Amino acid sequence: MSIFFIGIITLFLSGLISMPFNQKIKTAVLACITSVSAVLTLIPALKVLISGQDLMQVLNFNQIFGNVNFVIDPLSAFFIIVISVMSLASVIYSRGYLNPYIEQGKNINSHLVFLPMLIASMLLVVTCQNALMFLICWEIMSLSSFFLVIFENEKKEVLKAGIKYLVFMHFSVLFIIMAFAILSITSGSLDFSSFAFALQHNKHLANLVFILAFIGFGTKAGFVPFHNWLPDAHPAAPSHVSAIMSGVMIKTGIYGILRILSLIHTPSIFISYLVLVISVVSALYGVLYAITQHDLKRLLAYHSIENIGIIGIGIGVGMLGIAYSHPIVAVLGFAGGILHILNHSIFKELLFLSAGSVYIKTHTRNVEVLGGLIKSMPATALLFLIGSIAICGLPPFNGFISEFLVYFGMFKGLSIHNFFSMVTLLFSIAGLALVGTMAVLCFTKAFSIIFLGMPRSEAAEKVQNDTGKTMILPMSFLAILTLLIGLFPQYVFDYLLMPVHVVTGFTPAGTSEPVSLMQTISGYALAFVLFLGVVAVLKLLLTKNKIDIQETWGCGYNRGNNHMQYTASSYASPFLSMLRPLFKKVFDIEKPKHLFPQSAHFSLHIDDIEEAYLINPVIKGDEWFLSKFETIQSGNIQSYIKYGLIFLVLVIIGSLLIG
Amino acid sequence: MIMKLVNLIILLFVPFLMMGVIKKTKTFWAGKKGPSILQPLYDFIRLLKKDFVISRTTSAVFKIAPVVNFAAVLFAAMFVPLASGSALINVPLGLIIFAYTLSLGKFVSLISAMDTGSSFEGMGASREACFTTIVEPAFFITVASIMALTGNYTFDSLSSILSSAGSYGILITIFAVIILFIMILTEASRVPVDDPATHLELTMIHEVMILDNSGSDLALFSWANSIKMLLISSLIANMLIPSSLGEWMSILLYLVIMFAISIIIGTIESGMARIRMSHVFEFIFIMSSLALVVLSLIVAGMFGTGGT
Repeated sequence: MSIFFIGIITLFLSGLISMPFNQKIKTAVLACITSVSAVLTLIPALKVLISGQDLMQVLNFNQIFGNVNFVIDPLSAFFIIVISVMSLASVIYSRGYLNPYIEQGKNINSHLVFLPMLIASMLLVVTCQNALMFLICWEIMSLSSFFLVIFENEKKEVLKAGIKYLVFMHFSVLFIIMAFAILSITSGSLDFSSFAFALQHNKHLANLVFILAFIGFGTKAGFVPFHNWLPDAHPAAPSHVSAIMSGVMIKTGIYGILRILSLIHTPSIFISYLVLVISVVSALYGVLYAITQHDLKRLLAYHSIENIGIIGIGIGVGMLGIAYSHPIVAVLGFAGGILHILNHSIFKELLFLSAGSVYIKTHTRNVEVLGGLIKSMPATALLFLIGSIAICGLPPFNGFISEFLVYFGMFKGLSIHNFFSMVTLLFSIAGLALVGTMAVLCFTKAFSIIFLGMPRSEAAEKVQNDTGKTMILPMSFLAILTLLIGLFPQYVFDYLLMPVHVVTGFTPAGTSEPVSLMQTISGYALAFVLFLGVVAVLKLLLTKNKIDIQETWGCGYNRGNNHMQYTASSYASPFLSMLRPLFKKVFDIEKPKHLFPQSAHFSLHIDDIEEAYLINPVIKGDEWFLSKFETIQSGNIQSYIKYGLIFLVLVIIGSLLIG
Repeated sequence: MIMKLVNLIILLFVPFLMMGVIKKTKTFWAGKKGPSILQPLYDFIRLLKKDFVISRTTSAVFKIAPVVNFAAVLFAAMFVPLASGSALINVPLGLIIFAYTLSLGKFVSLISAMDTGSSFEGMGASREACFTTIVEPAFFITVASIMALTGNYTFDSLSSILSSAGSYGILITIFAVIILFIMILTEASRVPVDDPATHLELTMIHEVMILDNSGSDLALFSWANSIKMLLISSLIANMLIPSSLGEWMSILLYLVIMFAISIIIGTIESGMARIRMSHVFEFIFIMSSLALVVLSLIVAGMFGTGGT
């Protein structure tokens, strides 16, 4: 366990250590230190997963905290692995990504301090078992990520997005504080293990605390309707930071939910349905809005909401399994959800990093002006394609495995002989199927508009070569991981049962069916790859025909140009027109006027319905209400003295009344 | 073993015959003689020998896509029960593997269409992607509710529904068959969703996606598409064929059902035109509403009076 803390301390210091070095090698130094600390934190985590024995360290702080327990149980160990490995990939990538900024003379010192600080604070969040210490680490995590988001703080929209993020995070922490406050008052202690007793013996308390914690942690994770910070913060942040935030940081919200669940042990039926329904809605909402987006990183941010929804479906099914005491449903649901945490962190990070490579080369995130990049950036294109197929949950990649487990849990759940559970589960199954097909629509759109066809603008045309090795390498590592988990899920599944055990409290018995199913799935995945190879070889051998290179068929029209290609908006249009009522379309039209029109333009963007109808009215109302108090701040000193006097008089009257 | 071999032969060659029967039916209604029902097979062989014409806009995606799509469809076929009852690989949740493998094929065929940079092909791809989003959930609800009723999570549950669930079973079967039939029309791009014989690129869906494919690439795409039609038709056949029938009898009945479906498709194509594009959605939505009917029937069957 002390190795773990050495790792944490190195991370906290690494920013400072790298500071005196030359601008050019600063990021390299940081990457080296981060890899060392990643190894240091991985060792205890792996030890826990292999031996199954929890590691525990009690640190004695001052009188306020008392003894603070840091525990690595299998659940924490799982998250440590996700955090360390995924963050490391991002940090290595950041070297290539930050270079253009360094060349422009941007000061990256503070960025390099906050980056490892974010990683370290996440690692502390998933190990700390003391409510107060947990909140402090949580806050360090939120603040350091805030500073990372506003990296390009000279841009107004970045600052705006950053502040929105900050506000949302403090909305979230408010609810977490409430949940912890209630727990520590009832249990009289700040330690998580002492919360368990109170939660397990008072159903109503458990429900209340879970809902508060779900709002708090759910805001971090990005469940609808608390998701609104995601689509703004991710595009604003540099790509490696978005990768860490989307791939890893939002999962700490899921960790919080799972940790509270592990303390509750037997969730009530009500909150199980609540989680399941919110998750299905989140998944659908996320992917629906992803389809509407033209900003690549906003699109990916909405997909994070979708995938958090899928993780939530897994958790919700697991909770239903416990609530209706169907152990196998619980194990499958939680296993699917937890595996999807790992899977999503891998392919989402891969996608964000390749989006970053596209941004570095073309300086735009608008997919409508890209195109044809597969020719200039073949490696990035391939990596993005792998990420896209994986995120759609298609075999033989890892997304399929976790979605399969979630499906399996839902199908098993159908055998619960209960009207509500059956109808809910059937609709969830259809919902997950719909999410899958919509993801296919969204990623065929994203991939083909960015990488295929002809360049739609000069920015895309000018790209000469692919990004450097330091950026390709971590991405290839992630791509290989997606394939490996997709082909050999049974080895991962074995280690998955331990974190599931922490959450459910069941001994993982009766899991022989999913284990053997994982083996068969692995067999099919391998068979499929083999089969694919055989078909390809057969086709090559059997057809030795000449290839004639010509123009694309344009129905006889030979003067087509790059701007006549299908765009992302037109690709999504039939689908979106079908679901018109669910969006708020904002048109910006200047019609051509007169005989010889001077200028005309048309643009369309789609507002988040929640932002338009829920958040903005609240902000407006807030502003209106607060503006009533503007007169108080008059700016002249006499009235401030008057306020002081009134306050004093009130205090005297008040104390007289009480006394 | 022999059964599996027979199934494999059916899987690979009956799709050509079904296409042939559809064409024959259409020529019959038009009062013509028409080519032999083996014509699609001859076309296929001729296409294999042809040279390629490939657009200079395309990339490696365009060359790999037909292979991946074909392999995915054929692999998905392993999980569907064909002529002799059970699927070649009969596992719980074969439904998921089937649907997601098909989805992989769809993914690559969509990006291959987009690879040409042609607006027509983009249009086709976007429509195809859009239709799938309506079809898939309805298909899942139907099959999943049937599985919930029978308590069997393999495709075998389809064949047991008619015999096991009494009067509800008959109703469910009728609705499920209609749902699957609409799914055939959509997935295999037949009238009234799509007109494979149209001459205007603007109104095509599937045909326009493979507009730039030629030679063996085109052959593989068309073969895969007709296999897809066979797969969904097999699901219908499995709901209708009683499991008590002998193996050879059920194969015979299976073939009869396949050709009956082809004749119905051909008759529909002779009798009506393609629906206006903006109304196609509404047509496919029939599937979703029927799926909800199946769902409520099953819930009624399980929790209604009697509660069996």
